[in-house]
Amino acid sequence: MSELLPDFTLIRPATVAEAVAALARERAQVLAGGTDKLVQLRRGLAVPDVLVDIGAISEMQGIAAEGAGLRIGAAVTLASLAHDPLARAYASVTEAAASVAAPGHRAVATIGGNLCLDTRCLYYNQSHWWRQSNDFCLKYQGTVCHVAPRGNRCRAAFSGDLAPALMVHGATLEIAGPEGRRHVPLAAFYVEDGAAFLTLAPGELLVAIHLPAPAGPSVYAKLRVRKSIDFPLAGVALARTERGYDIALTGTNSCPKMVEFDVPFSPDDAYFTALEKAVQKAASPQRTTTIQPHYRRLAIAALAARKARALA
Amino acid sequence: MSRIIKLEVNGREVEDLVPDNLLLVDYLRERLALTGTKMGCDGGECGACTVLIDGVARLSCITLAAAADGRAVETIEGQAPGGRLSALQRAFHEHLGTQCGYCTPGMIMAAEALLRANPDPSEAEIREALGGNLCRCTGYVKIIRSVRAAAEAMA
Amino acid sequence: MKDHSTIGRPAPLVDGIEKVTGRARYTADLADRDTLTARILRSPVAHGRIVRLDTSRAEALPGVLAVVTGADCDVPYGVIPIAQNEFPLARDKVRYRGEPVAAVAAVDAGTAEAALALIALEIDPLPAHATAAEARAPDAALLHDDKPGNIEREVHHEFGSVEAGFAEADLIRDETFSCAEVHHAMMEPNATLAEYDPERARLTLHSCTQVPFYVHLAVARCLKMDTSRIRVVKPFVGGGFGHRTETLNFEIIAALLARKAGGKVLLRLSREETFLTHRGRPQTDVRLKIGMKRDGTLTAVEAEAVMAGGAYAGYGLVTILYAGALIHGLYAIENVKYDGYRVYTNTPPCGAMRGHGTVDMRHAFECLLDRMARELGLDPFDLRRANLLEAPTFTANGLMVNSYGLPEALDRVETASGWTERRGKLPRGRGLGMACSHYVSGAAKPVHWTGEPHAVVQMRLEFDGAVTVLTGASDIGQGSSTIVALAAAEVLGIDMARVRVVANDSEVTPKDNGSYSSRVTFMVGNAAIEAARALREKLILAAAEKLEADPVDVVCEGESFFIPGAAQSELPWQEVVYAALAREGTLTEKGTFRTPEKAQGGKHRGGAVGSTMGFSYGAQVVEVSVDEATGQITVEQVWSALDVGYAINPLAVEGQIEGSVWMGMAQAMSEETAWRDGLHAHANMLDYRFPTIAESPPVEVHIVESIDPLGPFGAKEAGEGALSGFPPALVNAVADALGLDVNFLPVTPDRLLEALIKWRRAQKRAGGAS
Repeated sequence: MSELLPDFTLIRPATVAEAVAALARERAQVLAGGTDKLVQLRRGLAVPDVLVDIGAISEMQGIAAEGAGLRIGAAVTLASLAHDPLARAYASVTEAAASVAAPGHRAVATIGGNLCLDTRCLYYNQSHWWRQSNDFCLKYQGTVCHVAPRGNRCRAAFSGDLAPALMVHGATLEIAGPEGRRHVPLAAFYVEDGAAFLTLAPGELLVAIHLPAPAGPSVYAKLRVRKSIDFPLAGVALARTERGYDIALTGTNSCPKMVEFDVPFSPDDAYFTALEKAVQKAASPQRTTTIQPHYRRLAIAALAARKARALA
Repeated sequence: MSRIIKLEVNGREVEDLVPDNLLLVDYLRERLALTGTKMGCDGGECGACTVLIDGVARLSCITLAAAADGRAVETIEGQAPGGRLSALQRAFHEHLGTQCGYCTPGMIMAAEALLRANPDPSEAEIREALGGNLCRCTGYVKIIRSVRAAAEAMA
Repeated sequence: MKDHSTIGRPAPLVDGIEKVTGRARYTADLADRDTLTARILRSPVAHGRIVRLDTSRAEALPGVLAVVTGADCDVPYGVIPIAQNEFPLARDKVRYRGEPVAAVAAVDAGTAEAALALIALEIDPLPAHATAAEARAPDAALLHDDKPGNIEREVHHEFGSVEAGFAEADLIRDETFSCAEVHHAMMEPNATLAEYDPERARLTLHSCTQVPFYVHLAVARCLKMDTSRIRVVKPFVGGGFGHRTETLNFEIIAALLARKAGGKVLLRLSREETFLTHRGRPQTDVRLKIGMKRDGTLTAVEAEAVMAGGAYAGYGLVTILYAGALIHGLYAIENVKYDGYRVYTNTPPCGAMRGHGTVDMRHAFECLLDRMARELGLDPFDLRRANLLEAPTFTANGLMVNSYGLPEALDRVETASGWTERRGKLPRGRGLGMACSHYVSGAAKPVHWTGEPHAVVQMRLEFDGAVTVLTGASDIGQGSSTIVALAAAEVLGIDMARVRVVANDSEVTPKDNGSYSSRVTFMVGNAAIEAARALREKLILAAAEKLEADPVDVVCEGESFFIPGAAQSELPWQEVVYAALAREGTLTEKGTFRTPEKAQGGKHRGGAVGSTMGFSYGAQVVEVSVDEATGQITVEQVWSALDVGYAINPLAVEGQIEGSVWMGMAQAMSEETAWRDGLHAHANMLDYRFPTIAESPPVEVHIVESIDPLGPFGAKEAGEGALSGFPPALVNAVADALGLDVNFLPVTPDRLLEALIKWRRAQKRAGGAS
């Protein structure tokens, strides 16, 4: 009667070095909160031989001040992040954390896991039978992207809430790997390809997120049909800067995306209309959900403009 | 691979050999015959399998049994010590917070976690805490009332 | 109204303690260690001929105990005896993606899945049609050779003369509405535990069914077994909402596997497979034309419904008949024409779902009424009041209406919602809408018409002073066991704790037609009252003998027997029990319920559908706020009044109304079942978006009691009537908030925003300002 999961070995390293060594093993994958990974295992979307549970690595825990900024361990749960007093200065981050799924997920889902959350698509997040009946898809086991059959890449949508919220605050990531540590700006962590959206090299592990001092107030808004559980149909984070706003999107593209918008701030309708247009231009939602892509683009842009006005 | 886990389930020490790939919900239901914990979806979408792990509401259908090693797990069966209903169980019974009953164990466990952290939750806080627990019968009206009634009974 | 000692006050469910403690055992909880695990191989294509199905390698796999295919069952099944065209496992052809083709029983899930992978299946694909329009096209491939045009059933009814009616009308409007397919999504995924004893050739089934009796018949037919060799038990069931009215393929498959394996098999479906079993409300297009006089009086109604019914007949003909029949019964309308088309499509079969057949038609009707009221400058409440029935009466299509609480329901929600003061004065983006609805209290003529009473309840007086109620009524969460217990306690004047309900074990309990079309309270409730009265008579005779009194003078109340005003001492319950048992030993009394002939509908073909002993009547007001930038609707508050005849258990009545209002909201706002390339696009609980607690509104319930002359204690149904009021009340509220009328369900944010954009453009073109 049990639900079938692939046969894997679970490893629970105590240090980053041990984790990196474990990840070097054949078909090894990271297990953080497991709120998406275990669903993937149940659906045959991941077939690891080794699962490296990062829950016991103390270096990956904790939220601490770092100069005027913040260091957040990659294994910090979204529940603790959402209520952390230090993180409160980064409102987009705590709001995004509090908006993910539901309390039972947030209790274990991690910030690192959310940044690495696999891209999602109607043709991908299905059972093995469903996908097999459809000759699979370009993202996994197949050759055609059913969303854009004439295109040459996977269009699955990046759907993590935290990435845009951290991006507008200029976050950088600390990554450990066989070659040592490296730091990378969050925006450079991703590429626009639903099947290979992370620039994480094999064996690498996201260890921590570093945030500089907050430049200004920020906000995160999320478009969804239901007010709980749902992944974002689209999400937008805005941070007020000296010049205007830094704006980033999720749910609209195969990776989180900074919106190009340089118009100097002025508190008038023309400015906010321009902002709305800029968001519309940056967003490129596809038929990856049952909710129409055109809608996701228009509504997230409208939400962005509304939030910008509120933050002005 | 398999491993020996030691955990506490509803206050009793348990030691067991479990495969690494065994889900906690299957461990509870099939090894321990604690069938009060339900499965309503294909993973992480409905909340019917909610249990408490170290007092925190978690979804046992996307939790490995191995992850419960060294922890205290509480299920609906542990909520009525000596056969007497907990305040939440009594409230759900008396205020019809349960109709078909299938979401009820998970709903009560999620509400239990809420009341332990916040003994006097507002309606908004109840909606927030139970946001991952789907119910198809009640429209949630009497679920909210039941949680409030339990909070008042415990005050 | 007579005073009641037990009923009429809030009562917790008699099986509530099991539910809140986790002791309630549902089908999947009943397996033990030696139970085999079953899995189903499903068709990967939507339409095609099976050219090869080779199970030999699966059969040879160690640990596999049984493999079954369409070759193992050549008897078609289906809920309607005259329309059985489905096999539990496809034979020759597959007609929807996900149709069962083969199944295995093995020692564990891993072996079962490995066995499925070893089955060689080749299908020659045929053109597949997911919509009614495609399936009705002249060159469409036929799903069933004997059904030209892929029309499963056509219905054409006319009562009175619509031609004359429209000629009298001052205003005629004609609109088309499109309502998406929806699914029950009850919380418990489907499961059957089947055990076969080859020595005795006996089969025992535990299954999550609303109608164990249908399962019993279907399994006996399909397995060609004598019904007496089968036992069907309904354990706790996690909801149904119509999904489990019909016998479903997995129940028969589990039985086939158990017999072949000679053992015990648990077939538990995944959530995705439960969605694929479907039987929900079909995608329906309604074209509706209404004529009315300037004062709002209805003069004629012409309606057409086209339903994409899925691949097999199932309940289809009843659904398409219901859509036409229940145009009647809510308002006084004499001239009604109805044309219904039930179409075969290459999708999972549709079936019965809460508000069976009536919801989408009612939606169109109540929306159009509101728009016509607006044109005539009438208040929507006044328009409804201009068309009230006067009970007792019969409708144009022969439906009996004995009690009619709609006027009071209208008054209650009008006042409670502050309609008169607030409507039209709310800020833009906020609106109030209303609608009415009704539903049957059980079908006066069931589809399995055997001539038997509709319900039988046995009541046994035990030596220990307890009363055991034996019923086949299926409690699926709606509280039917509680209703029979309340009826017994009320009539016998005893404490509820004395009453035990034993339900749904074909070895023990009397046959019942099951839980569907809101029949249980009315029919089983009446049968329970009759049984309790018979038992009370016996007890009174015994008491009278002891009291040396005339039985007509003896009162049975408060667990004692006495003669009012007399000096004689009271006899306690237990003493009278002993006395009664001394007369004739253990007492078992029986109560039955039959529907009166005049309740059984019109004499026209299909006239039995819609017929009932009593309709519930509802009025509802919905308040919304609409975000015009995102198309998102927030339901702020719902006021729902329902005439339930009499509330035997007001707590359960409230729960039923809240739940059905909410389910109406779910269909109105977020739920739909759609296909992409014939593949189910909503087969999980993230994409099938039924509301969470976060956005579910407060619902203020008003119980209206019209005391139906035939209802048990005056009661009628309470669990379906309010549902179909919500979608039109919502759409009417959106119109009030924005001025925009929409003709689709669900009103998802993307659809609403698209409609808003088109509407603004059209207004701009027309030169008007919004």
